[in-house]
Amino acid sequence: MSESHENLLKQYLAEKEAATTTAELEALRVKYLGKKGEVTELLKGLGKLSIEERKTAGASINELKNHIQASLDESMRNLALKEQEQKLNAEKPDHSMPGIYPASGTLHPVIQVAQEVADIFLSMGFFMAEGPEIEEEYYNFEALNVPKNHPARDMQDTFYLESGQVLRTQTSPVQIRTMEALNPPLKMIALGKVFRKDSDITHSPMFNQMEGLVVGENISMSDLKGTLAMFVENMFGKRPFRFRPSFFPFTEPSAEMDIQCIFCEGKGCKVCKGTGWMEVLGCGMVNPKVFEAVKYDTEKYTGFAFGMGIDRIAMLRYGINDIRLLFSSDIRFLRQF
Amino acid sequence: MKVLLSWLKDYIDINETPEKIADALNMTGLEVEEIIQPGKNLNNVVVGKILSRDPHPDAEKLSLCSVDVNRGQPLQIVCGANNMKAGDKVPVAMIGASLPSGFEISKAKIRGIESSGMMCSKKELGISEEHGGLYILDENSQIGQDIVSALSLDEVIFEISVTPNRGDALSHLGIARELSAIFNLPLHRDPLGNEDGEGSVSDSVSIDIRDRELCPRYGARVMHNVKVGPSPDWMRERLEKAGIRSINNVVDVTNYLMLDIGHPMHAFDYNLVAGKKVIVRQAGKDERLVTLDKVERHLDSTMLVIADQEKPMAIAGVMGGLASSVTDATTSILLEAAFFNPTTVRVTSKRLGLMSDSSYRFERGTNIDNVPIALNEAVRLLKEMTGGQPVKGIADAYPKPEVLRQIAVRTRRVNRVIGINLSPAQIETLLLRLKLDTKRDGEDLVVSVPPYRHDLSIEADIIEEVARMYGYNNIPTTLPAITSVLQLPTPLQKLEKRLRSHLVSCGFNEIMTYSFIPTAIDGCFTEKKPLMLQNPLSEDLSAMRTSLKWGMFDALKRNILNDEFNLRLFEIGKAFHPAAGGMSEEHARLCIGFSGSADPKNWRKSSETFDLFTVKGLVQNIADLLKVKIRYAQGSCSVFHPALQMELMVGKAPAGEFGQVHPNLLDNKKMPKCIFIAEIDLNRFAAAIEGASRMKAIPELPAIRRDLALIAPVSVAHRDILKVLTGEGKTLMEDCYLFDVYQGKGIPENCRSLAFAMTFRDQKKTLTDEEIQPVIARMVSRLESELAVKLR
Repeated sequence: MSESHENLLKQYLAEKEAATTTAELEALRVKYLGKKGEVTELLKGLGKLSIEERKTAGASINELKNHIQASLDESMRNLALKEQEQKLNAEKPDHSMPGIYPASGTLHPVIQVAQEVADIFLSMGFFMAEGPEIEEEYYNFEALNVPKNHPARDMQDTFYLESGQVLRTQTSPVQIRTMEALNPPLKMIALGKVFRKDSDITHSPMFNQMEGLVVGENISMSDLKGTLAMFVENMFGKRPFRFRPSFFPFTEPSAEMDIQCIFCEGKGCKVCKGTGWMEVLGCGMVNPKVFEAVKYDTEKYTGFAFGMGIDRIAMLRYGINDIRLLFSSDIRFLRQF
Repeated sequence: MKVLLSWLKDYIDINETPEKIADALNMTGLEVEEIIQPGKNLNNVVVGKILSRDPHPDAEKLSLCSVDVNRGQPLQIVCGANNMKAGDKVPVAMIGASLPSGFEISKAKIRGIESSGMMCSKKELGISEEHGGLYILDENSQIGQDIVSALSLDEVIFEISVTPNRGDALSHLGIARELSAIFNLPLHRDPLGNEDGEGSVSDSVSIDIRDRELCPRYGARVMHNVKVGPSPDWMRERLEKAGIRSINNVVDVTNYLMLDIGHPMHAFDYNLVAGKKVIVRQAGKDERLVTLDKVERHLDSTMLVIADQEKPMAIAGVMGGLASSVTDATTSILLEAAFFNPTTVRVTSKRLGLMSDSSYRFERGTNIDNVPIALNEAVRLLKEMTGGQPVKGIADAYPKPEVLRQIAVRTRRVNRVIGINLSPAQIETLLLRLKLDTKRDGEDLVVSVPPYRHDLSIEADIIEEVARMYGYNNIPTTLPAITSVLQLPTPLQKLEKRLRSHLVSCGFNEIMTYSFIPTAIDGCFTEKKPLMLQNPLSEDLSAMRTSLKWGMFDALKRNILNDEFNLRLFEIGKAFHPAAGGMSEEHARLCIGFSGSADPKNWRKSSETFDLFTVKGLVQNIADLLKVKIRYAQGSCSVFHPALQMELMVGKAPAGEFGQVHPNLLDNKKMPKCIFIAEIDLNRFAAAIEGASRMKAIPELPAIRRDLALIAPVSVAHRDILKVLTGEGKTLMEDCYLFDVYQGKGIPENCRSLAFAMTFRDQKKTLTDEEIQPVIARMVSRLESELAVKLR
């Protein structure tokens, strides 16, 4: 590039540095590269030169032109981006305003706990069985080895319908119905509402139970312990547990299972009445008399059964102090879950 | 049941701590609910002697006493009680003493006079609910002695809950027997009286059992010259601590033996037994008896009575009669110890609504061998306590002596059921601790069951005993080595799970209401006569719900009364209906309730309140989700506003209904007008779910879209216009929907503007305007001629 061209470039660069808007850049383009622009004029003047001179001067002017063109293009792009960014930034709303979204609802706390309990057993290969809430006395009592006029009936105060049917006092009749329909080996759970004539802050005339039954060859009490240990570990976390002998007419031997209190970690508190233990479920080896009622071979098959109050587990889990709240439909309560 | 540690020690030398004993009982199936130690929270209370009692100078009802507590100067104590006099000995809580209620004694001025302690009542000491003034102590009490030792309050009482199978454990002997098995300690007891006496019992009384099944054994003894009066302190104390009120020495002895060896007894006034004859028989029809609680009982032939020659004297095993009972005037008594059939006692007790400590034990089974033991021991105690003279011998009617039950127990089965590996000898050792005698039969055993263990009748029962003694917590943990038969979730189970999660996502809160509802609710909520409970908890919980609508209405209403107006609730549950033959049917239902608006927290647009079409939309949304084809029909449910309700059909069968709650049901001013309820029959929905359909190819050719704005008389239904549009659109029409409705300015009166969006597509070639134009023209012309609907 000749010296005069170099000087022109320098002049251009100085002016470009000073330009702050795309409009000013456009004015520079007109000034240098426009129809009457300085570089254009130089090109027009080439005709007056000799062929030799034209060659060198032409190359020099073209270099100058390309340089300015490229520089203008780049600056234009940069400034355009900058201007767009400013414009976009001006669109910023008040970010602290709340989002607009469809409110989500809640599952009933008992259902949440029931699903959690069920999922553990379903993962262990159990299936979910069902039975009616209005039940024949036979299924609720006799078939479960609770004869009429047996003191064991005092354990559950029963609602009777005018037809003589009962509102099931436990989900155990589902065991009987399932065994009547299917042959072993089987592993079932049943979930549902049960009814007892009782009402105070820890008793509701309607509540929810989960029942389980395993029948096969060589099912033992150690299988019962292992299965339920696996359940409580997954439900309540790994913690000490124990089995205490108890009595249920449909199991022999019978047991109650305690876990270390989830509130005081065994130190003793109000919830566990200072014992450090919390009762979570009743269980036992199926009484052969129950197998006789469903015509299972009592020599070939053994089994275990268990049952737990889902409402109680929900109350423990969420710190609910009155069982009646569960059936209150109070939105201020339900919303919390 | 309350069990005294000191009483247990009559039978067993046990030195474990109360906590350890309780734990051991818990771990073998006798649940200790509470350990009560009355003296535990009683500190610094001593025996004091009132030296003088003067009136308080400034308070009529208070006294000023000088009390010697054997600690130097007598104390000056102001007292509000008035059952004491100078010379009485009373419990005195010293300065710094603490009482079971948590109350601490400090020096105080009462009406200007300094009081240095407090004289106590039984209630204040926490040993009785009685509040009858100060506890006046025995005159031989030693002044200054700590009250805990003076009254032997250092007792430990276990409150034990005994399961219904363990009648044998309902006594101190029973619990001691269990402890002897757990701790492997010997069980001992002193000789329990004998049959000695004057004359011969056969001259005094004869027993006649009319039904050996209901009463296998009845024994009696007679005593003369009995002086009825209060029992000695030691017996009163034991009874009271065990929760039984002391009556008189004769009655107390019968109660004492019930708590001691578990055998309920009864005492009759011998001179009132007509014909000196005891007859155990069924009650006659319409026979009556006034029982000890002074209630006249109507008896019937299912009940067993103890009668003399003329009349019933007691209801067997339940309660004695008032007329033949022991009173202060009694001088001769007839003592009864018997074994009654548990079922008979239970049926009688239930029928009469009369439960007693005696019936409770007979129901659970008593020890038939205890009949003579109880009688002889009662006589021994009464001789000592009343100076009475026994007649020699027991009138013991025991026509068919019981043979011990023998149970065959297989070692292999024991191990298989428990999941352990014991030898026959190990099993024998465990059983022997429970006094279960065994005979070996090869590898197996034959177990003899003592008469008090009514819970042991089959092999499984013995297996439980082995497991209990082995310790449940010593049994290993394993997992069942079986694979269950496969049972997939039912369509209804799947549908319910799906609906729950869908509705929660849509903003609904799940509720759970009672399956029983009030009988007295507005009849419109029950479709036909509901199933009724025979024995409801209350009128409000007496009818089985025939639909979930009432529970939903009640839930909405109760929340609204709490100022919660924006509600979306749902419930999934059963409705109950009478079925043929007095039976019942259960139907799965989904019920949904709406009030207020869906989206009150949306600040951008004013939130719209629910109306019939939001409800209809949700119902359609559920049907679409589940792939169930539904239709709508005019509804006729009396819960709803007659014009604002629809019925839901699946095929030709009704499958639910929804609508705005009838204004007449909005009986509270707070209730907004627009409360909506929908109920869906889930059994019908589950049955109508369509299987998977084959995929349709995604269209490759372009569609043509056209909007049509119409002005229609309000009497023309949307459905009728749609029919014309789709009728003319034929196979070319891909979609047609209403997107705007307007009524008001610019639209003629009694008309509304309806705007439809239509999509046309030909699957085979690109559709042109020229092809659609005549279709639209035909639509417009038919709308005008058939429905008087014009283009806007």
